[in-house]
Amino acid sequence: MTVLEVTPTTGRPVSARPPGARPRRSPLRERFPGLALPALVWYAVFMIGPVVAIFVIAFLRWPGMLETPSFAGLDNFSVVFADATFWAALGNSAVQIVVGLPIMIVLAFLLAFYVVQKPRGHRVLRYILFIPALISAPATAMVFYAMLNPDGLVNGLLAPLGLAGNAWLADPSTALGAIIAVELWSGIGYSAVLIAARLDGVDTEIVQAARVDGASDWRIAWRMYWPIARDFIGVVTMLQFLSLLFNSAQTVLLLTQGGPGTSTMTLSYLIYSKAFVETDLGYSQAVGVVLFVLGLLGMWLIRRTLRATH
Amino acid sequence: MASRTVLPLRDRLGSLTSGTLAWLYAAILLIPFYYFISSSFKTNEEIFESPLALPTSWDLSNFATAFRQADLGLAIANSALTTVSALVLTLLLALPAAFALARAQGRFGKVIENVFNLGFLIPAFAALFPTFLLAAAVGLFHTRTFVVLLLPATALPLAIVILTAFMRTIPRELEEAASMDGASTLQVLRQVYLPICIPGIATVLLLNFLSFWNAYLYPLILIGPDTAQRTIQVALPTLKVDAGTDYGVLMAGTLLTLLPVYLVYTVLQKQMQKALVSGAVKG
Repeated sequence: MTVLEVTPTTGRPVSARPPGARPRRSPLRERFPGLALPALVWYAVFMIGPVVAIFVIAFLRWPGMLETPSFAGLDNFSVVFADATFWAALGNSAVQIVVGLPIMIVLAFLLAFYVVQKPRGHRVLRYILFIPALISAPATAMVFYAMLNPDGLVNGLLAPLGLAGNAWLADPSTALGAIIAVELWSGIGYSAVLIAARLDGVDTEIVQAARVDGASDWRIAWRMYWPIARDFIGVVTMLQFLSLLFNSAQTVLLLTQGGPGTSTMTLSYLIYSKAFVETDLGYSQAVGVVLFVLGLLGMWLIRRTLRATH
Repeated sequence: MASRTVLPLRDRLGSLTSGTLAWLYAAILLIPFYYFISSSFKTNEEIFESPLALPTSWDLSNFATAFRQADLGLAIANSALTTVSALVLTLLLALPAAFALARAQGRFGKVIENVFNLGFLIPAFAALFPTFLLAAAVGLFHTRTFVVLLLPATALPLAIVILTAFMRTIPRELEEAASMDGASTLQVLRQVYLPICIPGIATVLLLNFLSFWNAYLYPLILIGPDTAQRTIQVALPTLKVDAGTDYGVLMAGTLLTLLPVYLVYTVLQKQMQKALVSGAVKG
């Protein structure tokens, strides 16, 4: 899928017209794509503008919506960096990414590899894998809320096995794990479908040849498919990284509100709660700037680790 | 497809394990589904006592309660209105833009295309609070209208990339022939480009339907708790109560939010497959 890549326009053969045809001057709209302007303006007003505003508000002292903001310089950042809650949130986000992301991508890749071998039932499997992508964050959260409550499905399955149940979302030692599990549930299948779309394009002849030479599935998966799809897997990893980093606020808001204590406080939820619960706007957007920088750093790192190698 | 070669035993064992794992994973995806669909016909006691049992009766009272308690009928209407308007607006903005960019030759075209390409890397959520300020500044705070205006902006990068890729596959000669017959730019767009782009348009509609219908944080903050305007995604979590959630009702409500998604997915999926197969979007 080149959907997610910037493809340079290839030079068109300009002289490829039949002899005698009137030489065509390229019309104005080819030199200046005016029809693209409404979309561009729309995008600038509703997306680029607000993103730029984060970097302005982060430098303002703005203790509430009705107060008049004043310039604060770097004060917000020194408050943020001195706050234990921020460090807890940073730690939780780091755990989410460092534990959740590799699990998600590796499992998604293995599933995709399995599906593209076209085993029996692969169509059904593909359909099932896409299911979580259809469901909204609130619906997913509500299903898991029902499953993870003390009387829910998870404890109901553990009891007959003689295992003690748990209030998974209310226990500080399991709450973050539960949030990560919800994110994995909704992310693995979707990534697998995306990666499978790329693996479908792999030439089956070289794979057959490798099989004839006695290469095992495991070798074929990691030595052939992974390197071939590496840059695309990088793109999927980047999308899931951004989604974990930024969208966890929804799941956290719906399931634990950052608690118990600060055990599920993530950076994106901290931004939400500082802005809309505590109305400490400068603080909130200072964390926003930090999150943005971390997002760029992470993407750079992923690009470096997963760039094309062949 | 090519005939299957007979695999050596070692590999058959290998694929047996990976197969088991894959289907185990499918079960992990499906069990929550079974649990929540069957729960939507049960009472709390039944859910707690035997979570995996089939409901004893196919009683629809939980659905009625969910409808009444969270005003789901109104919420579904709001979601439908918001989603459809935002989809129309997305196409009205993205189609001409893709048309212009697919044929652009100069530097401007390149720059504009790159702006949209970089847009993939801006998560919409990052700017939640500034967007909230923007809504207040233009006097559209706590209205569906602002969400309708905002959602297309979040969808433009993907929509434009997909549609531009499609339109690039259209031979220039087709357009030239139409122009010589005296067709205006808009007529060329409507009569030459649109029909060929139907699978691409379906893909854009499907992907954006999913993200617009499923949007949560933006509608929550921008529309607010007003029952007259709130969407289904905002209404659903209100069925969860701190003391004594009725899980049957909550699961029934959840099921109601999913039905339209499956309906649209089934209808548009065929077109989307066509788009993936036809080559414009594959790599």
